[in-house]
Amino acid sequence: MSARIVHLNHIHVGHPGQWILNDINLAVEPGHFLGIVGPNGAGKSTLLHTVAGLIKPASGYVDLFGECLSRFNRRKLLAQTGFLSQKPGTPSALPLRVRDVVAMGLDSYTAPLWRRSMHPSKVEQALTLTDTDKLGEKDYRYLSGGQQQRVRLARALAASPRLLLLDEPAASLDMHARESLYSLLRCLCDQQGTAIIMVEHDIAAISSYVDSIACLNIRIHHHAMHGETIPEEIWHAMYGDHMHIVAHDSHCIGCHERMKS
Amino acid sequence: MSGFLASEVMRSALFPSTLIAIVASSMSVMILAHRLSFLTVAISHATLAGLGLAVVLALPLLPTAAATAVIVSLILASMLRHQGLNEDAGTGVLFAGAMALGIVLLSTTNKNEVDMFGLLFGNILKVSENDQYWLIWGSSIVMTSLIWAARPWWSIAFDTTTAAASGMAVHLYRLLLFSMTGLTVVICVRLAGIVLATGLLVLPAATAWFWCRGLFRLWLISLLVSLIGTWTGLFLSFILAWPSGATVVLTLCALFILSWTVSWLRQTLFKDVP
Repeated sequence: MSARIVHLNHIHVGHPGQWILNDINLAVEPGHFLGIVGPNGAGKSTLLHTVAGLIKPASGYVDLFGECLSRFNRRKLLAQTGFLSQKPGTPSALPLRVRDVVAMGLDSYTAPLWRRSMHPSKVEQALTLTDTDKLGEKDYRYLSGGQQQRVRLARALAASPRLLLLDEPAASLDMHARESLYSLLRCLCDQQGTAIIMVEHDIAAISSYVDSIACLNIRIHHHAMHGETIPEEIWHAMYGDHMHIVAHDSHCIGCHERMKS
Repeated sequence: MSGFLASEVMRSALFPSTLIAIVASSMSVMILAHRLSFLTVAISHATLAGLGLAVVLALPLLPTAAATAVIVSLILASMLRHQGLNEDAGTGVLFAGAMALGIVLLSTTNKNEVDMFGLLFGNILKVSENDQYWLIWGSSIVMTSLIWAARPWWSIAFDTTTAAASGMAVHLYRLLLFSMTGLTVVICVRLAGIVLATGLLVLPAATAWFWCRGLFRLWLISLLVSLIGTWTGLFLSFILAWPSGATVVLTLCALFILSWTVSWLRQTLFKDVP
């Protein structure tokens, strides 16, 4: 069994009686692609922020690459992590070339000015992976929402991270771009052993790409592996009784059994 | 021009004003990137409290003002982090409070002890040897910090959350940025005074903003604008007998308007969007 990239152990975030996350236990191994789904306010982004060291849990601990994440080793551990947050509310007004934005993802970028920070080959590689290589010299501010999202993803990939944390990476992308994004992520898991935790609203869109799906609403209601059926009561516990499940794809994790019958 | 260079007063003002132009334009890029223009207004007015304190307690002016500005900046940075107060509300509170304290302190002193016009509008023509010593020290601290932290500051300005998620000590870098902004404001007060110091800290980068992409180019053009504005302003103030600080700020304003107009024409008439 390979070493765990992420191990969340009894994570609680918030206050007793008003938990934002309640007793979360999760483990992700190299090459594993985990999708997290849940309704608004379920704590999906909070979970991702906790793994990224942005939120300190009230209790429990986060292990990254076999080490407990603490203030003393966070720089070392998080340097091996790529993070893509939800699209920022206020767009950046900084005059920057796309190439410079991607370079910010490199660990060496924060070096003092007298040291070289740019590794053109790594920047080029990230641009190529996200199909933004033709945008390298463009001004980031004048790109479309979808193009900006792909550039931000390139930034997250620039340092070839062992763990990718993605918060709705397909927001602002069209159908075709979404498909190629998910295929790229699947490829990174299979070929480079990158572990991915991705928050998405649309379970149908990601179910054929991920290895497992965690159904989150304050706590993890179910963790389904590929091909496993998510029981109907789990859906109702997460989204309420007014929802209806519609089978749509033979590869879907949640709809697998339903399609057979 | 020969008259300008022959003047002993102008020649002695050239070095400190050039130093201030370099420091102000370098920090100007970060001040615009982090949207701290209003903070510089608050700190420059808060230095009045420091200057009042220095006069009342017979302490050296510039170091006391610098210490006050840095403390005020750090209080503001911490207040925003721990209390979740809106940034401009916190800045406004400190701005008014420190300014009021300064006025009360200065009102208790002998009016002849304080050069109010110099404090409010600056007077680079009367820089003592001691002041020059403090300007050099202050500028060295700001420039060293900038060279060390420019890239993290730039990255935080672009996307704070992602910078923090990469393990960067965002809060410490912000404290350093706020304190260096405070120190730079005090340095600028010597040339442009409390009222006009913000002009030196905002206009150079604002002028350069239309013309470049990337930290280094922005810095270089900002520096160039600041040097041209300062030297031209000093020269104009000499031949027109205008106050030096105000003339420098006016020249920088003229450069900004020129830059904005040309950029607008370029985008409107030639549809030249980067």
